[in-house]
Amino acid sequence: MVEIVIDEDACVGCGSCVEDCPNDVYEMDEAKNKTKVVKVEDCMACLSCHEICPAQAMEHQDIHVAKRLYIDRSVKDAINRII
Amino acid sequence: MNGEIEEIRGTFKPELIPAATGGNIDDYEKALHTLMKFVGSMSSALEQVSGRGANAIVYQAGKRMGHEASKLMEKTDDLEKAMGELSEVLGQEFYFEMWKPSSQDNYTVERGDETEVKLLFMDCVVRQTLRRTGLPQKGPLCYLLYGYMVGAVEEVMDIRGKLDIDHVGPNACLKTLTIKWSGK
Ligand code: SF4
Ligand code: SF4
Repeated sequence: MVEIVIDEDACVGCGSCVEDCPNDVYEMDEAKNKTKVVKVEDCMACLSCHEICPAQAMEHQDIHVAKRLYIDRSVKDAINRII
Repeated sequence: MNGEIEEIRGTFKPELIPAATGGNIDDYEKALHTLMKFVGSMSSALEQVSGRGANAIVYQAGKRMGHEASKLMEKTDDLEKAMGELSEVLGQEFYFEMWKPSSQDNYTVERGDETEVKLLFMDCVVRQTLRRTGLPQKGPLCYLLYGYMVGAVEEVMDIRGKLDIDHVGPNACLKTLTIKWSGK
């Protein structure tokens, strides 16, 4: 079962994930001005919220991670060497 | 010649089915990425030249592939069984499962003479190709999978089907497959 962990220190409260999630998994916690997970059971792990979040504030656990064969391993290795 | 390119030299006799591929994982990766770039660039060129007509062309190509790929599959009227067969046809590269929101009891929803089922595509080579070439999702290339799925459904169930894109994401895409029973 998917679990979503929000890093509240990172979340800037922009609400993009709330707007973008097609299944209304998030809602804004108005008091804290942070996002909160309200319907995790409807998360289909599309990860659109990861793409839109400017703060990389969320982590999805126990999901199917799609293959990423498009990644160029030689470029990745070069970047890893620099970083 | 570029010194980094390693040439394979050896003896070659006529053979019916080659026993070895003559390449390693790096060669596969390069070939795959080159193909991804070709396909991605072909898709955007097609869109530039034919506008929305590009979707129809790619859809037809996918549909033909879907019919071809599932010709030998057992025909069935059972939607869940058909989904099992289709996941075999589409394989690991288009790995999907039926999906439903928590408020819905069953995977299938009946609407008159139509049945709807939501399919979550978790792995998809089209999506990978788009990411490799920096193209947006939902463009002409997505119609390849759309056509492929419809062609395969029509072949396995001997029925008319359509696939609508509900949502696209970097890790999974949700589609609705509609089967029209009177289209038999
Ligand atoms: S992964 Fe998709 S369904 Fe899940 S919370 Fe993010 S946007 Fe919503
Ligand atoms: S998109 Fe990211 S930063 Fe914005 S509210 Fe959601 S979790 Fe917070």
